[in-house]
Amino acid sequence: MSDTPSAGTQTTVAEKVFAFVDERVGLKLLAAKMLNEAVPGGSRWAYVFGSILLFIFIMQAVTGVLLMFYYVPTADHAYASTQYIIHDIDYGWFLLSYHFWGSSAMVVCVFAHMSQVFLWGAYKKPRELIWLVGLALFALVLGFGFTGYLLPWDQRAYWATTVGVEIIDKIPVLGDFLARFLKGGPIPGQMTLSRFFVIHVMVLPAALIGLAGLHLFLFRCAGPAGPFRGTPTELKAKTDYFFPRQIWKDVVGMAVVFACISAMAFWEPVVLLDEATPDPGDYHPEPEWYFLFIFQHLRLKMFSGQFGQFLGSIAFPGALGVMLMLLPFFDRNPERNIFKRPFALIGWVVLTASILLFTVSAIINRSFLD
Amino acid sequence: MQPQLKSKVRCADREIGEVSKVIMDPLSHEVSHLVVSMNGTGERQVPMGAVQTVADDLVQLRSSSSEVLSLPPFKRDDYVTLHEVEIPGLERHIHVTPGEVLVPFPELERNVKRRTFFAKLTYVMGLFIGLPLVFPVMKFLMKPMYAPLDNRWLKIGNIGKLKFADTGTQFQYRRMVKEAYLAEAEVEKNAWLIKATPAVLEKVYQGKDMEFLGADGKVIWTNKKDMPYLAFSGKCPHLGCAYKWRKHKVLGQVFLCPCHLSIYDASGQVLDGPAPRPLDLLPIQVSASGEVQIIDMEFKAGTKSQTRIV
Repeated sequence: MSDTPSAGTQTTVAEKVFAFVDERVGLKLLAAKMLNEAVPGGSRWAYVFGSILLFIFIMQAVTGVLLMFYYVPTADHAYASTQYIIHDIDYGWFLLSYHFWGSSAMVVCVFAHMSQVFLWGAYKKPRELIWLVGLALFALVLGFGFTGYLLPWDQRAYWATTVGVEIIDKIPVLGDFLARFLKGGPIPGQMTLSRFFVIHVMVLPAALIGLAGLHLFLFRCAGPAGPFRGTPTELKAKTDYFFPRQIWKDVVGMAVVFACISAMAFWEPVVLLDEATPDPGDYHPEPEWYFLFIFQHLRLKMFSGQFGQFLGSIAFPGALGVMLMLLPFFDRNPERNIFKRPFALIGWVVLTASILLFTVSAIINRSFLD
Repeated sequence: MQPQLKSKVRCADREIGEVSKVIMDPLSHEVSHLVVSMNGTGERQVPMGAVQTVADDLVQLRSSSSEVLSLPPFKRDDYVTLHEVEIPGLERHIHVTPGEVLVPFPELERNVKRRTFFAKLTYVMGLFIGLPLVFPVMKFLMKPMYAPLDNRWLKIGNIGKLKFADTGTQFQYRRMVKEAYLAEAEVEKNAWLIKATPAVLEKVYQGKDMEFLGADGKVIWTNKKDMPYLAFSGKCPHLGCAYKWRKHKVLGQVFLCPCHLSIYDASGQVLDGPAPRPLDLLPIQVSASGEVQIIDMEFKAGTKSQTRIV
């Protein structure tokens, strides 16, 4: 290989080891291919979210594996083992709370990442497949949140799952089967916990690793989209490589996210409610905050009755998902500048505003229930 | 066609050398410059704009040889090779190799027939392995999904607890549940009881006794229309949360579900909110001493009609 250093220049052991590996796998070339990716128009803070998501996932995997050293996924031990992690294991409260807040950070960053891609028009040809795989990854992230929520086996966990599975039951034709499949029986119990556990720690991570790999591969095939303004000459003049400027920005972003998650874990550590039972006592069931907007809009009069409920819980979110999937195929206009795509801009603003509105109103509603 | 490496380069007046390198534009994916090796007097970088025609082994320039010679020497350090950088799709646009690079085709592969047959055979073998597994795997996963219904009567307390008419009172009870391999365990549940006035009874039963059917369609119990005690399943028929007996500003004393704010009156009828049907009535019997027994039933939430699941 032409880039293998000649033997005479090696001085230290580390260099010898590096040269040994490089000769066999072409490390330098690999590193060059990884790092020397041209970013048209140059690095930007707006591009950091993809890398941050990868970072959050790795941290979730690490903290998740650590939690499994003590957690037991059985109806009679899940709650006690989670309490043990929180109260008896050194730094257990921190690792569990980090894992908990990490899921929130994941949802926030997925929203930011999708918004950036949407507003920059980066889903358009030739990047349709990256967008589709990205949507599948988004669904997996929600799946992680939903399945992980049950594992502590407290009242919050039990009721979020009860209501969530009832919603899945409303899917036409397959709903009853899916709901029973997830519950592993007619009501939530040990079978549900076992199923959610294996989905959370095996099925979803495997799917996420595969799809995230595909997402990156497709991204490398198409290359970064770059800014939506600027002539080719301007873009070329500002072009730089992924390393060092973009990586620097990504790393700063990761550090900020790490600090935020740690701070939340520190100031708002996870506190369990009573152990799960089909009798909630005084607890008012509620899903995790990022599902609150769906929870809240199901309270609306227009989504009442069997059909209204189907509209609100299945048809409406389903239609939104299908629209997002079809987006790159019916939006064929190559224009990427968001200020020249009024429908896209208005659509994004309306969706974001209504999610915020429903989330906030769900929070305000809490005080009326006590 | 793109200029080929090793092509001779001729200026307007004379031949000056050969193409030693080409430079690609990373955005347009086109050749932007040629690097011309000047027969021993260094290399010059010539923009494609200066090229008049490109033939198989000859590049004709518009400029004169003195103009090309006066260009600054080519600076290799300003460029990187394609191998060291990631520019998607660029390699597919390059057609400047001076010739094909070949490796021998193995002897044994030369006359193999039925390549398509063997390719399809792999799919068939895949199906041969996969298909027989579908049914066992599905059955494996589905084993606990459909449990038989349980029609045992459970003692849940004494009607002495019901002090006022048409007022919801929660009765908590424990039910023994045996799940799969686990030891039988107690599960806390609750039902709401009403000591009903004739008006409320009329609203609930509408003059008819209420029959409860088993899975086989046979009657397992009949609630008599004049028996003044009502038991409602503790599960909200909207999406399965647990509702409470609460004071409402406008509607007075009602059953309120804190999840999605469904509101029911003492007879279980929907007053407000998204619920698709009234509260689910349970089979109830009261002994002479006032002991209440119910059959613990649960129905699928969110549907207009009742579908029993427990």
